[in-house]
Amino acid sequence: MTSDKTPTASRKAGIAVAKPIRVNLGSFLSRFFLRYGLILTLILVSLFFSIRTQAFASIDNLLDILRAVSILTIVALGVTFSVVVSGFDVSVGAVTGLAVILSTALMVIWGVPWYFAILICLAVGAIIGLLNSFLIIRLRIPDLLATLGVLYLVQGLQMSITKGDAVYKGMTNPWSPTREIAGGAIHPNFLFLGQGFVLSSEAFRGIPVPVVIMAVIALIAFIFLEFSRFGRIFYAVGGNIEAARLAGVDVNKVRMTAYVISSVLATIGGLVLAARIGSGAVKAGDPYLLDAVAATYFGFAVLNARRANVFGTVLGAIFVGVMLNGLTMMNIPWYIQDVIKGLVLIVSLGLSYYTTRR
Amino acid sequence: MAVLKASGLGKVFPGVVALDGVDLELRGGYVHALIGANGAGKSTLIKILTGYYPSYEGRIELNGQLISIHKPSDAFRYGIEVVHQEVDTTLIPYLSIAENLLIEKLATPAEGFFVRKRELHRQARQILQTLQLDMDVDQPVADLSLPQKQLLVIARAISRNASFLILDEPTASLGVSDVERLFTMIRKLKQRGVSFLYVSHRLTEIQEIADDITILRGGKKVAYFNRETFEMSKAIEAMLGAQPGKLFPTRMPITERELVLEVRNLGWGKRLKNISFQAFRGEVLGITGLTGAGKTELLNILAGCEKADHGDIILDGKVVHFRQPKDAIRHGIFLIPEDRRHRGLWIEHSIRTNVTLPFIRDFSYLSFVLSFKEISHVLQIINRLKLVPPNPEMTVKNLSGGNQQKVVIGKWLLQKGRVVLFDEATQGIDIGAKQEVYVLARELAHTSAVIFSSSDVDEVLGLADHVLVMRDGQIVGEFDTQPIDRQQVMELATGAVRTTTAYTTAQEE
Repeated sequence: MTSDKTPTASRKAGIAVAKPIRVNLGSFLSRFFLRYGLILTLILVSLFFSIRTQAFASIDNLLDILRAVSILTIVALGVTFSVVVSGFDVSVGAVTGLAVILSTALMVIWGVPWYFAILICLAVGAIIGLLNSFLIIRLRIPDLLATLGVLYLVQGLQMSITKGDAVYKGMTNPWSPTREIAGGAIHPNFLFLGQGFVLSSEAFRGIPVPVVIMAVIALIAFIFLEFSRFGRIFYAVGGNIEAARLAGVDVNKVRMTAYVISSVLATIGGLVLAARIGSGAVKAGDPYLLDAVAATYFGFAVLNARRANVFGTVLGAIFVGVMLNGLTMMNIPWYIQDVIKGLVLIVSLGLSYYTTRR
Repeated sequence: MAVLKASGLGKVFPGVVALDGVDLELRGGYVHALIGANGAGKSTLIKILTGYYPSYEGRIELNGQLISIHKPSDAFRYGIEVVHQEVDTTLIPYLSIAENLLIEKLATPAEGFFVRKRELHRQARQILQTLQLDMDVDQPVADLSLPQKQLLVIARAISRNASFLILDEPTASLGVSDVERLFTMIRKLKQRGVSFLYVSHRLTEIQEIADDITILRGGKKVAYFNRETFEMSKAIEAMLGAQPGKLFPTRMPITERELVLEVRNLGWGKRLKNISFQAFRGEVLGITGLTGAGKTELLNILAGCEKADHGDIILDGKVVHFRQPKDAIRHGIFLIPEDRRHRGLWIEHSIRTNVTLPFIRDFSYLSFVLSFKEISHVLQIINRLKLVPPNPEMTVKNLSGGNQQKVVIGKWLLQKGRVVLFDEATQGIDIGAKQEVYVLARELAHTSAVIFSSSDVDEVLGLADHVLVMRDGQIVGEFDTQPIDRQQVMELATGAVRTTTAYTTAQEE
């Protein structure tokens, strides 16, 4: 026995888990890959696509990718907030869809000014967030079930607005007994939110507005969760709700805020989506639910954070965007896309959880 | 009688020797106690004996024959079983007692597709009868109390013919009467030739139940006693590796005391009845009683976690009402809760984020957390509490129990509270850390009223200036003058006049 070599210091230190003292190349590498592996993969995948396809490595294509994932990122950031407080919000896809139909219907069918339409949608989004938190906090319905119920409710509401019709310029008014043509139109200022560019010049197409909106929201969310005391409190509630309560946190207020943020961000995502497609498609928000949840959980693996975080969620959304964009350019058929998404999620989370299991 | 003899057991982790050449003998019909501070190697030893590690040093013999234990099924085959402190993890709550007892049988394909309930119940009843346990075999395990679950797990191990039973801190969350029931069971099984390895921090219990005592420190066997040679002071010395200082800090003169908190006629359903007392700055008010006597409920009400049905809480002469803990904290009432893992800590977070959370506003400017402010404060706290390792970024999960408890206390040291409530603050921590908690409680009494609640009568008597005894939600005794008669406190707490303790009964046997 090597009793004389016993490093009593570390034991005196009361460390329950053994800590290697010698720097081991293998463990160093594995730790490096755990932390930076996904970022590294993202860079490698981008390089691969750049070499294989000519169009990939250009500023315009980069911005196209970002625009393609901007709505998803916004919705996913909302989900991230609910996951941070250890909740879950599956109503986001339906809320996104509601914002699409409601905003366009207000403008096209009822001729509401575009800014009022936006405000009404945001208010409705906040109310849905309050409804979610009421069900979860006051009635104590488990979050998954409560938001699932709200998902159906909102989806039904969404279709009731137009009696199931899509909204487009020149549609017949579903509420008019004589089925006359709806007189309103989607204002160009509204469309700018989804289709516009800023900082355009002759040499440069400009930065798409959805990308700007995404960046602003992501930055605010990042600062809020990582550097403000509110972020500390949000993570404390998610980490141990009882300890947070005993430490003087109004945990119900925190959870309510998280659900309201989630619904409002889903609404913003819906508004951008409506502006992007320029009409109100029915159930347009549905696919965003699963993608947003995937991006959020993908974020767990980034930098080996193993908790929901803004940086990870954004990177998760971009990763999916890069894969889909690059594969499309390489003429991989669209029906393979979901397979790719699934693999990316499984491999990244699998690596993160498997390697850290003791 | 079966004899399990382990010699030269050792286990090395990268950079740390967790266990170093330890010999241990378990004889049928005897209780072998294993004690040591946190991190002394007790759990490593248990894990080796139960086949948790595929490789380790040393040899294990059963009745003189070399055996190899390298996976859990090996240990099971040789009749070695462990009853963990958290018994819930090995029971399935919505199955009945009978189903839990015979779960292996239910899982074997030979039993066929349908559950033969009558046969199952008959067998379960038989097992319980031989151990003289009175339980309804059809009752779901979820309805059992913790001590009942523990007895059930022991019964299950015995029914599988376990001959070496490892009890890992079995009494950590048991009240006095439950401890006695457990000891009765152990004595009964001893007569049947079962051998016990009894791991605990509580020396008084060990004195009562153990035949052999092995003490570990720093992964090595540092002392061995038998029933005759065992001495409490020597055992403490061996555990700590130094002459133990006084376990309890000196009391202060009571001339400086100031009335801070008064509770009048507090009542909460059937759990608390007619509670009235006063707490002073400058003294430690001890509350003791069995588990379930209402101590935790009382402290929870004072800290705003629960609302009383009637009665007044008067703080500094004013009646206060708390809707949630936040309000109590604003009034300067801080709670160090029972069950620190679930109610006091963020185990995945660092020491820094744990310690600064309650007063995070004081570390922020324009709502931005200033980490330099945090770190300098946390370093101070680490220094004051002698936290090891002294690293603010250390994840709390990786700290020992004693150090975790210090983190919970450290949260409240930024501001001077009016009342600091300690609820079972020394549960599951080693004696060195206990001593430090007592000193802290005493220090805090200079600036706040300290209420120290514990079901460990000895520590309350040793620490407090004034002692309340609770039973069934009521205060049944109040002691002001020192020294307090331990016997009298125990009688009040248990609600029965006893002339002999369990220890003397055992000697008579």
